[in-house]
Amino acid sequence: MQTTVASEYSNEIHSVPIEHRFNPYSDNGGTVLGIAGEDFAVLAGDTRQVEGYSIQSRYEPKIFDVGDNIVMTANGFAADGVALIDKFRQQLKWYKFDNFGGKLEIKSAARYIQHLLYGKRFFPYYVSTLIAGLDEEGKGAVYSYDPVGSYEREQCRAGGAAASLIMPFLDNQVNFKNQFIPGTDGKEKKPLKYLTLEEVIELVRDAFSSATERHIYVGDGLEIKIVTKDGVRTEYYPLKRD
Amino acid sequence: MAGLNFENYQRNSYLSTKGFATPRATSTGTTIVGCKFPGGVVIAADTRATSGPIVADKNCEKLHRLAPKIWCAGAGTAADTEMVTQLIASNLELHALSQNREPRVITALTMLKQHLFKYQGHLGAYLICAGVDPTGAHLLSVQAHGSTDIGKYQSLGSGSLAAMAVLETNFREDLTKEEAIKLCADAIEAGIWNDLGSGSNVDVCVMEVGKDAELYRNYLTPNVRSQKARSYKFAPGTTAILRESVRDILDVEETVVSFDQMEVDTEA
Amino acid sequence: MNGIKVDINHLKKGEVNLGTSIMAVKFQDGVILGADSRTTTGSYIANRVTDKLTQIHDTIYCCRSGSAADTQAVADMVKYYLQIYAAQLPPNETPTTEIAANVFQEICYNNKDNLTAGIICAGYDKKNGGSVYSIPIGGSIHKQDYAIAGSGSTFIYGWCNENFKQGMQKDECVDFIKTALSEAIKWDGSSGGVIRMVILTEKGVERLIFYPDEYQK
Repeated sequence: MQTTVASEYSNEIHSVPIEHRFNPYSDNGGTVLGIAGEDFAVLAGDTRQVEGYSIQSRYEPKIFDVGDNIVMTANGFAADGVALIDKFRQQLKWYKFDNFGGKLEIKSAARYIQHLLYGKRFFPYYVSTLIAGLDEEGKGAVYSYDPVGSYEREQCRAGGAAASLIMPFLDNQVNFKNQFIPGTDGKEKKPLKYLTLEEVIELVRDAFSSATERHIYVGDGLEIKIVTKDGVRTEYYPLKRD
Repeated sequence: MAGLNFENYQRNSYLSTKGFATPRATSTGTTIVGCKFPGGVVIAADTRATSGPIVADKNCEKLHRLAPKIWCAGAGTAADTEMVTQLIASNLELHALSQNREPRVITALTMLKQHLFKYQGHLGAYLICAGVDPTGAHLLSVQAHGSTDIGKYQSLGSGSLAAMAVLETNFREDLTKEEAIKLCADAIEAGIWNDLGSGSNVDVCVMEVGKDAELYRNYLTPNVRSQKARSYKFAPGTTAILRESVRDILDVEETVVSFDQMEVDTEA
Repeated sequence: MNGIKVDINHLKKGEVNLGTSIMAVKFQDGVILGADSRTTTGSYIANRVTDKLTQIHDTIYCCRSGSAADTQAVADMVKYYLQIYAAQLPPNETPTTEIAANVFQEICYNNKDNLTAGIICAGYDKKNGGSVYSIPIGGSIHKQDYAIAGSGSTFIYGWCNENFKQGMQKDECVDFIKTALSEAIKWDGSSGGVIRMVILTEKGVERLIFYPDEYQK
């Protein structure tokens, strides 16, 4: 069926069918970020949720403590994010029933989430997923995923709307990319070292306040979940609301 | 050659079929408002310019001068509002000079609407046009396709709904100048907070009968950036210098010429 | 037309639309034009107090429906042509409604590919008294005793046909228009606001305005 449609330049009129199809996805904005330290890991996200040019909520947390000292976030299409996390939580409960309440290691959680995501390979969860916690040696761990389950353990990762703004900053400030030891004429790279929790929190706050300045989908509030051997702790910092 | 140049149009539409994204113009996803009061008129705008979801300019100027006492707030495509406004400002001045009269708001509006209509909406300029002239204070608006509206209070841009909500609840016929400024600033603030396309500061322009127009650039600044937690100063030498070359690109010759050697033409 | 399909009814993206209820009616002493006051862009009411009754000459007006930009541009052109034409007329003579309506028709017909304009032209002149011309979208012209147009008019064709009377008194005619437009506004989502009227007679121009509190009863 052909329908007449006026183009931007009205002297050329193309004949293309108009599609009226339900779109199951939307973009709810927001951005998230995870950093692993020596004996801790953090997951941070802004608390703004958007639809188009409107703010749906100024405080809708998207970092969740899913149990077993693991924190998780799935940023992008909010409904899919919530669905994925709910599904993981429920499966974790069943895992405990089957294993006499035993702890799920983060690497096992990571592999399981891959299967949750790949299970919807042809109707994916529209999210960038991050989890953070401590590995079997007690070292900080961050795992990041693409929408269909490809994953990787990393030192740090930004996801969501302002990922492209924050990730280069993290490369430079966490992994010291493009930084050389002064006087070595670019021959010697600045050596890697673990950042303290205080330094990490400062980096996260600066990353989010900067992303808020330049990305319209980021703002309102910053919620950080910090995982240590003593458990999960939450911190909140306000962000600009314009 | 005067006017717009379309010679790349065919090439670009060919490119877009090959998957190259067409360039995005900076759109001032904007809140602009205007409101009358006995004896004058106020217009106001936010200062955020966006390109897609990215903030392109945090403190841009959306209040344009068409004539000393006729000002215009612009929403839509930044380049179009800027250029159309400059063109009409220029023609308005020539018109005022040839007629030996102060320019009128209705003249500016007619020139704007005829220009925009000619371009059939391809110039994405949405303007609130206000000012004082020998016939009094006026507040009018023009849309990209060339239609115009008259009203005692108006709003335009992506934040116009948020702003209009404030205007509809708080507008009165007997506002004082100060109240009118406050109302406009409040309406813009509604856009700044509730519309993602609008943000940063509030600019205001007041035009009163028998007085010079007053522009309050950054009348409100409710979005000052907070202090960063860390310093990002790099030690000198952190960035490697891979290659260095210095070359003279210009030879400068200086000669001193004493005054009496110079020829001074005193005849006209 | 070269086998190219042309959709003359399209509105360009984001164009301001006068989804309208307008009408003009002949009566005893002349003619009365009536219109709602709503202008929309999509579902947003861009102006709730629009004046869709536009003066073309001293006692010739038009009701505009369709694209706001197009109808304003056409009305401005006709107004300009009539000014020049009137200047060449003998003193104390003014253009007839027929002339004005035919200038409208000419412009609407010649530019039909680029216009979305449905216009009712009505006026009073000494030669013909009150007269009403309808110039719908293709650029045809129809002389009528009364005319209705715009999206809201579809709801009142039957009522108007039943209740119109030749040679009504002024008050009777105002009531006729008020009732018709209030029904059109009631059933048409793109029409609303106040009802504006212009009465054109030998005595000149009289403007009326009716607020929702009154006409909704």
